[in-house]
This record gives sequence, C-alpha cells and structure tokens, in this order.
Amino acid sequence: MYSEKVMDHFSNPRNAGVIENADGMGEVGNPVCGDMMTFYIKVEDEKLADVKFQTFGCVAALAVSSIVSEMAKGKTLKEAKAITKKAAAEALDGLPKEKMHCSNLGAKALAEAIANYEEKRDGKPRAVAKQTKRKRPKRHITCSHCDVKNPVTANFCMSCGEKMDH
Amino acid sequence: MKFVENQPSDDTLDLVCRVCPLHLLEPGDKLNCLKKGQVLEVLTDYDGALEDIPNWCQKCGQDFIGIEEDDDCYKLYIRKNK
Amino acid sequence: MKNVYMDHASATPVRKEVIEAMLPYFDQHFGNPSTVYDMGSKIKQVMEEQRAKVAKLIGAKAEEIIFTSSGAEANNLAIKGAALARQKKGKHIIISAIEHHSVLNSARFLERMDFEVTFLPVDEYGLVDQQRLSQAMRPETILVSIMHANNEIGTIEPISELSAICRERGVIFHTDAVATVGNIPVDVNELNVDLLSLSGVSLDAPKGVGALYFRDNLRLMPLIHGGIQESGRRGGTENVPAIVALGKASELAAKELPDKVNHVQGLRDLLVAGVPERIEQVKYTGHPKERLPGHASFCIEAIEGEALIFMLNQSGIYANTGSACASKALKTSPVLVAIGIPPALAQGSVVFTLSNSNTVEEIEYVLEKLPVAVDKLRSLSPLWRTKEAA
Repeated sequence: MYSEKVMDHFSNPRNAGVIENADGMGEVGNPVCGDMMTFYIKVEDEKLADVKFQTFGCVAALAVSSIVSEMAKGKTLKEAKAITKKAAAEALDGLPKEKMHCSNLGAKALAEAIANYEEKRDGKPRAVAKQTKRKRPKRHITCSHCDVKNPVTANFCMSCGEKMDH
Repeated sequence: MKFVENQPSDDTLDLVCRVCPLHLLEPGDKLNCLKKGQVLEVLTDYDGALEDIPNWCQKCGQDFIGIEEDDDCYKLYIRKNK
Repeated sequence: MKNVYMDHASATPVRKEVIEAMLPYFDQHFGNPSTVYDMGSKIKQVMEEQRAKVAKLIGAKAEEIIFTSSGAEANNLAIKGAALARQKKGKHIIISAIEHHSVLNSARFLERMDFEVTFLPVDEYGLVDQQRLSQAMRPETILVSIMHANNEIGTIEPISELSAICRERGVIFHTDAVATVGNIPVDVNELNVDLLSLSGVSLDAPKGVGALYFRDNLRLMPLIHGGIQESGRRGGTENVPAIVALGKASELAAKELPDKVNHVQGLRDLLVAGVPERIEQVKYTGHPKERLPGHASFCIEAIEGEALIFMLNQSGIYANTGSACASKALKTSPVLVAIGIPPALAQGSVVFTLSNSNTVEEIEYVLEKLPVAVDKLRSLSPLWRTKEAA
C-alpha cells in the first residue's frame, strides 16, 4: 500500500515536536475527519531556521508531515511557500489515491504557519480573499398597475393585461 | 385445462420461487411418500408448470386432477396412481 | 516475535485436516455433481454428506442448508430472497443500524424497489432493544434481520428474545451469524430463527464458501438463477472442494468448540485486564459480558487506528481497526457512531480477534508492544498534548 519512503518517514519521523514561543503556528484538519496537523516555525533572516510538527492521523498523514518539515527546514519563506502537495507526494515516491488529501493538508499546514508568522511580523491581519456573493438571477417583476408578480420575461401582465415596464 | 375448487389434499409441495426444472423433479419424490389414491397439492408461480406438470403426469401414469388459481401462485393437484 | 496474528475475524489459516480433505476433489474426484454417471452421483453424495455436517453444527436438518460463495452472499439471499418472495404481503423490513454491509446494502437496494426499511438504533453496547423492535413492527412488516454478533465491537444480540417477537406476528427473522458460528454454540432452534448466514472464514475453512440456513422450505426468491443446483435455489456449478472443506471444518468445530471458547476467553480476558493497566484513556467498546469470547475492541484517545495498526505490524502483530483512514472510503465506522463513540475517539479503534493458535506469550508480547506504539503516536499527536495540558 505504501512506498518505502512513506514507511521510513512514518517509522522515523523527522522534526516531530513543538517549538515553544514559535514565530508562526499553523493548524489544519479536524480529528473528526481523522487528520489534524500543527506546524511550528522559527524564522531567522527570513529563513525557516526550525520547523516542527505534531500530527494526529494515519500513516500517510504522519509521513507527509515529516517530509514537508524536512523540505521546508532551512528554506527561505518564499521557497517554503512554494512547497505544493504534489511536491510532497512526489518526495515520498507517491501516495495511494485515497491518501492524496493528506499531502494537501501538509502543504496547507506549513502555509498556515508561514501566514501566521507574516501576520505577526507585519502587524496586520492577512488579506482575506473577498467572498463575492453569487448574484442570483432576477426571476420576477412586479406589475406597476396591479402589483402582481410576473415572470421577468413577461411583456404583458398575467393578471390585468397591462404592458409591463422593464 | 381443468379448473377445480377446494380440492382436498393429503400433502403440499411448495415450489413457489423455485426454478425450472425443479417442478418436474420434486413432485415425483414427494409422491413416493404418499399412498396410492392420496392427493398431492403443488404450489408454483412458474407459468411453464401449467403445461409441464399435466404432461409429466401423463408420462408417469399419475392422475392430474386440475388447477386452482390463488393470490400468489397456482395450485396443481395430482392423485397418486402408481 | 515474528508473527502474532490476532485478526481472525478477517481471515484464518485453513487447517491441515481441512486442506487434506479438500485436495482429492481437485484432481481425483473432480466430477460435476449434476452429471448422471457414477462420477457425478458419487460427488453429489459427498456433497450431501457435507450438507449434513454443516446442518449438524447449527442444529438444523440437511435439507435446510444452501451452500453459497460467502457469508455476504448468504446475507444477500436471505434479505433480498425473503423480501422479494413476500412483497405481496407487505414491503416493510427492519434491520439494526450495525449490520454488516452485505445486509445494510441489500436493504438499501430494496429501498430502491419501493420497500421501506427501518434501521433500529442500538444502545451504547450495541444491543438492540426488544421494546424498540416491537414498536417498529407494523402490519406490513415481512422481515427482520439482526446480526447474532458484531465483529467490530463483539456484542452478542439477544436473538431468541428478538425472534420471539417476530414469531408472534408471523414475521420472518434472519440473523447474520458469520461472527458466531465457529466461535460460540449456535443452534437455530434455540435461537428460533427462520434464516441464518454463516461463512467458512470463521470456521478455519477457505475463503469463498458460506451457507444459508432456511427453516422448513421457506420461500426464497433465488438471486442466482441456474439449474437444479441447490434444489433450484442457487444456481451455478458447485465449488465442491470448498464445500468439502466447509463440511470438514464444521465437523471439527462441533467437536472442538467448548475448548476453543475456554482458551480464547482466557487469553482475551488477560489482554483486556492488561491494557488499561498500561495505557490510560482507553475505552473498551461493546458489551463487557455479552460478547464473543475471543474478541477485544478498544478506542484509544488521541491516536489514529491505521497508524497504530502499521506500528503494531512493524513488531509483527496483526490487528484490525474501524477508523476512517484505514477504511478506503474514509468514513468513520458506522458501528462506533451508532454506539455513541465521539467521531474523534472512533478514529483510534483497534480490534483483536483471537483463535486457538494464540498463546499467553503472544498476549504478553502485545501488552509489551502496544503501549510503546501508543506512546510513540501520542508523542506526535497535537490532541494528546492538549489533553495533557488540560
């Protein structure tokens, strides 16, 4: 089911632990769903001097946490931000299809920790992508004469027969 | 096809849901346990039995009495002759 | 220790005596039981002898046994076969919420055919309440299916009491006894059931063979239409070697059951006593007393089941889990959810199912390695850290 690399990182996880007073912390996942990862980072000269993780999850989740922490340690913030789920899975010589979501979680947890650090460093909350409310199509139009609701495509009112003003 | 009503019988063989050709194999076994003159009631939901069983009776020298239609099956009556 | 196998609910090694009994039917006595010449009729006779052995194990008559390819097939035939044969009478079925997938999905299939299914809830031990069953029954109820024991939590259901309620009302009662036949005494008359499924897997027989008991010429719509095999109830050229294996295994099980029960129960009790002494925050799931004698199931806080299984595997220990990640569907075990285990705790599920081959030394080995594995996973777990800090 799992590659040798995955089993190695599972049995001998690199960088497991906690950084007290970390410069950045990122927590993703949910124990209810079966996977939860917390990443801690120490930043010096805009480089990840130390990375540690704590993970509740399956073999894939633990292996992904380990490899991502290894890939990120010593990198610049920019380089670390570029670590994708694909890169993590490849570094582990692949993951079973149903476990690919674990690699997504790992990349996300690291990104969260970095975002958390940048928030603290810059003193302002991170830019949240504006949630545009989906525009609902207008379906009805009210007749100005008798106040009855008509379909928006109506040219004449269904009730009083008067011309609709669009 | 002879139709009967309220035909008394000495034993029942329930073949509802059973597939062809069981309707030709099991009545023989069951008749072996009856005495000459006794009547076997065969229950079946298989349309083919309406033709097969009277023919089988003719071939084997048994008396085919008739059929009665019930809610969920046909009831065929055979009198043991030999 | 190389190989400490404690997942007998999934698979068991086939016994030497059973393999020896099967072998001649591959190349020496290979005839088709349906053929008319002597090679065929001899095999047919052998097959009928096996039928009698399986029937004897469960207190039934030989003609009340249908051979199938598995316990799952027996369940399918029981649920769909009995329901479809009775649909003119009514279209309401009742099953428990913790049935095996072969029963659950057979019922769901019938829902698509306009049957109505009631899923009976269970209590915190997995037991079905008799009052609840009574209340759920309607004039149009035609079938009730409650498993004899559940392989995930080990709980044994009060089948005789439940079936009595059905008998009073003329409703057919089926029980999935795949987990019990071969592990505890099972008698269809004591249980008072109309249909019962069993599998070779629980009897140290090969995979790919099972049987359905059906009382007294009960009507069943066949699922596999064929010819005269299994008296027209289940078509297909019979898997004679596997049927011979099932017969032999049933014979051995009948003889050896009392000793097996004593042996596995002793070992299981050792394991269950030892685990909480060495690991904190563990829940023993299922009923503490009314459970399969060789079955121990736990939910361990703050760790995930698949990771634990792999870690135990590295020490040569084989156990099973009902956690989400381990199941390819990534869903939390519906059985654990049904007994009220919080979803996060349900992730840390581990199940041990013992057999005659297990020993005291193996239990001691597990008690040595399990806490180490749990500690290691907890040291990596953010949930354990939070718990410890609390």
